[in-house]
Amino acid sequence: MISGATGAATDAPAFEEAAQGRIASSTGWLRDRRQAAWDAFTAMPMPSSQRDEDWRRTDIGKLKLPAFHDGDPVDDTLIAAIRERRDRATPRAALVVDAAPHTRIEQSDELAAAGIVVSSLEDAVRLHPALVERALASVGVGESTFVALWNAMWTGGAFIYVPRSVDAAVPVWVAHSAAGDHSATFPATVVLLEDNSSLTLVDDYLSAVGSDELFSDAVTIASVGRDARLDHHVLQQWGEATWHVALHRSVLAQNARLRMFGATLGSRLQKAYWEVLLDGPGAQAEIAGVAFGDTTQHLDHQSLQAHRAPQTTSRLKLKVAVRGRARSVYSGLIDVDRVAQQTDAYVQNRNLILSNGATADSVPRLEIRANDVRCGHGATAGHIDDDHRFYLMARGVTADEADRLIVRGFLDDALVGCPDRGVADLIGTLIDHELQGNEVAGVALVGA
Amino acid sequence: MTVQAHELTKDYKFGFHDVDISVFRTEKGLSPEVVAAISDHKNEPEWMLKFRLKAYDHYMKRPMPAWGADLSGIDFDDIYYYVKPAGEQSRSWDDVPESIKNTFDRLGIPEAERKFLAGVSAQYDSEVVYHNIRDDLEKLGVIFCDCDTGLREHPDIFRKYFGTVIPPNDNKFAALNSAVWSGGSFVYVPAGVKVDIPLQAYFRINSDNMGQFERTLIIAEEGSSVHYIEGCTAPNYSSDSLHSAVVELIAHKGAKIRYTTIQNWSDNVYNLVTKRAIAHENATVEWVDGNLGSKVTMKYPAIYLMGEGAHGEVLSAAFAGPGQHQDAGAKCIHVASNTTSNIVSRSISKGTGRTSYRGHVKVYPKAQNVKINVRCDALLLDEESQSDTYPYMDVESPDVTIGHEASVSKVGEDQIFYLTSRGIDENEATALIVNGFFEPFVKELPMEYAVELNRLLALSMEGSVG
Repeated sequence: MISGATGAATDAPAFEEAAQGRIASSTGWLRDRRQAAWDAFTAMPMPSSQRDEDWRRTDIGKLKLPAFHDGDPVDDTLIAAIRERRDRATPRAALVVDAAPHTRIEQSDELAAAGIVVSSLEDAVRLHPALVERALASVGVGESTFVALWNAMWTGGAFIYVPRSVDAAVPVWVAHSAAGDHSATFPATVVLLEDNSSLTLVDDYLSAVGSDELFSDAVTIASVGRDARLDHHVLQQWGEATWHVALHRSVLAQNARLRMFGATLGSRLQKAYWEVLLDGPGAQAEIAGVAFGDTTQHLDHQSLQAHRAPQTTSRLKLKVAVRGRARSVYSGLIDVDRVAQQTDAYVQNRNLILSNGATADSVPRLEIRANDVRCGHGATAGHIDDDHRFYLMARGVTADEADRLIVRGFLDDALVGCPDRGVADLIGTLIDHELQGNEVAGVALVGA
Repeated sequence: MTVQAHELTKDYKFGFHDVDISVFRTEKGLSPEVVAAISDHKNEPEWMLKFRLKAYDHYMKRPMPAWGADLSGIDFDDIYYYVKPAGEQSRSWDDVPESIKNTFDRLGIPEAERKFLAGVSAQYDSEVVYHNIRDDLEKLGVIFCDCDTGLREHPDIFRKYFGTVIPPNDNKFAALNSAVWSGGSFVYVPAGVKVDIPLQAYFRINSDNMGQFERTLIIAEEGSSVHYIEGCTAPNYSSDSLHSAVVELIAHKGAKIRYTTIQNWSDNVYNLVTKRAIAHENATVEWVDGNLGSKVTMKYPAIYLMGEGAHGEVLSAAFAGPGQHQDAGAKCIHVASNTTSNIVSRSISKGTGRTSYRGHVKVYPKAQNVKINVRCDALLLDEESQSDTYPYMDVESPDVTIGHEASVSKVGEDQIFYLTSRGIDENEATALIVNGFFEPFVKELPMEYAVELNRLLALSMEGSVG
């Protein structure tokens, strides 16, 4: 209570100047929004594992915001690594690099010809202010400490707009990156899909291998119109010393369909919210994810499936493997409103614990106020079954290789839910790399 | 069971009360003076007075819980914390005061049953007024009395265990109970003794604005076994009552304790109970916990599996009718290796009723080969009802197998159709399905309790269709 009463502002004088600069250089509704967000942030204490249920199992007491400053510019070797990753997974995708000092776009002609907007969020505020304002409306300025800070601080960012009845012919790959010790970054992706349109999107969070301490406060907002379809991939491969706090929120209109796939591999500590708001009748969401924690990584996923209209369906499957002294925290909520009759919702969280010292917490919650529903959840934690290992070894596979196969098989069960094959293959390769004893926090830079 | 449904009226059957005959009660509200007066009235030893006063300090310092059910309706200053009924402790049924007997008769308790009941300890207000232990249990060295008597007559055993499972600063309501506790059961089963007949106690609240703070302590020595049953009914009063019990169980090596509760407080009672067991090596503890009554219940029977090979079971059933919130659940904390636990929860919400399952399973790092299974299912009977599930799983050891499954649904239309097509009307069909839903719980109850529970369910289910 005592430390909280001082508020975050006195903890974070470093951002004060940067925030005031951003407020001063904005105009109209954005200026008001940034000011309101900054006021909210400075009035709110930092989340506390003693006080806040959301943060009970994830302690960010060691994150010292005042030590951080606006991110240093990223260099060409990092951009090359980003481009190479995109090429491996989805070579035809348009590329957006959201990193200091400004967002870079490698536009696809096919998308531009169809009237699809792929730009920085900054440019979109100038060119399409009404669209951006509409999309941002689904995230409150002061929802939480980190959302407030993001609202005040984001720069660059990515904005994608798909007009009515247009199918994006190629994916959009948005890479969010940062470099330099104690760099802070505020990654932003804002997506607006008009009715009956479709898009494949990748949000890729990454930095170079190494011990640079980074702070990433990210938000993605997707507004999915009637009958529209979004395939959203979220890859997280920050370096081993990065703090990553993220809110991924999708809002689905009538009969809209979301497929979301998340792969969490990097960072020192992650707190990621995966939220889907099923606002229109008949909306559907299929969410799947894999996470692999190693060394002392702390990976926290918190999901929300909010059913706010009838006949909505949601599925979530998160498979987590932890070894070393890594810790996984999963908490999730299926929230069914009184009007959301005929909801069909399910959550499952499966944890594989590979060594002494690794831990997995799971809190899958249900809050249900409609009666004509089918809701459920399943959560498990276990270790590698000796019978499985024996079966493989009896066929000439070494013990280590048997374990790798079993872990990979365990994670593949969720990986098949990854909408884009190329992205799934990339994630599979990264997991194999880690299983062979290599660390996957951060990307290795060629020639660096 | 469905035939009985028609015999029962809609009125709360046990919602009567006798003329208040209390002879000693403290003033309303709580203060160190009230705590001291309770201790003084009971002629307690100095250590218990100190224990109570320390607990009182903890209670005052602790904030109200910010989670769980809404407790804002409790007026702590408008409660009598201690009421002693007329008449002294009785050994024979004939000595029990007439008006109290009337109450028991209307509840349909002993007379006929007492011959085969091991001992009936009926808590009337805050003191046990009737007590009967069968001679053969006494010969075996089994102690079964109220907690006040336990403190007086068996001070060494009592002091060794009292407050060791649930310390007074454990939580706000355990602290409150520790400060003002009165009555409850004290059970001690010597090594190797198997008590083959359930020990039963009936608890009742009979005074307006009366808080009941009973305290139960059960110790099963090595290789012994005991089944304790607690059933509650309370008269219907207009102002809210508070019931805040503490129950401590200790199962030594190879011992087995089963604790069965059917809670049917009237719907103005706040029922905030701390129940916890310690299971040593190869011991088994089973909580069979039914929650039908009260306005608000917060109760999460816990088992700490401290010794290798210990096993825990929690079977929980909850029914929340209009205006009720049953926030119930279970905790199994695995500290030792080769321990297993199984939690099964079934809950039903009707009208504006709300059931919440709140559970916690935890495996400590050094606990190897742990197996845990949790299953919770909820039925929602109409559009106004609500159900929540909050299971917490903390796993700090790799050598575990842990599973948790939950489902929430409504009564299946196909099930109703199947029954109605065979000539059963829709009300009865729903009652049958609900009875079937509670079956895993009901089958663990002694016969007379199963019958009573089915009757109460049928009563609650009346008019639930249409």
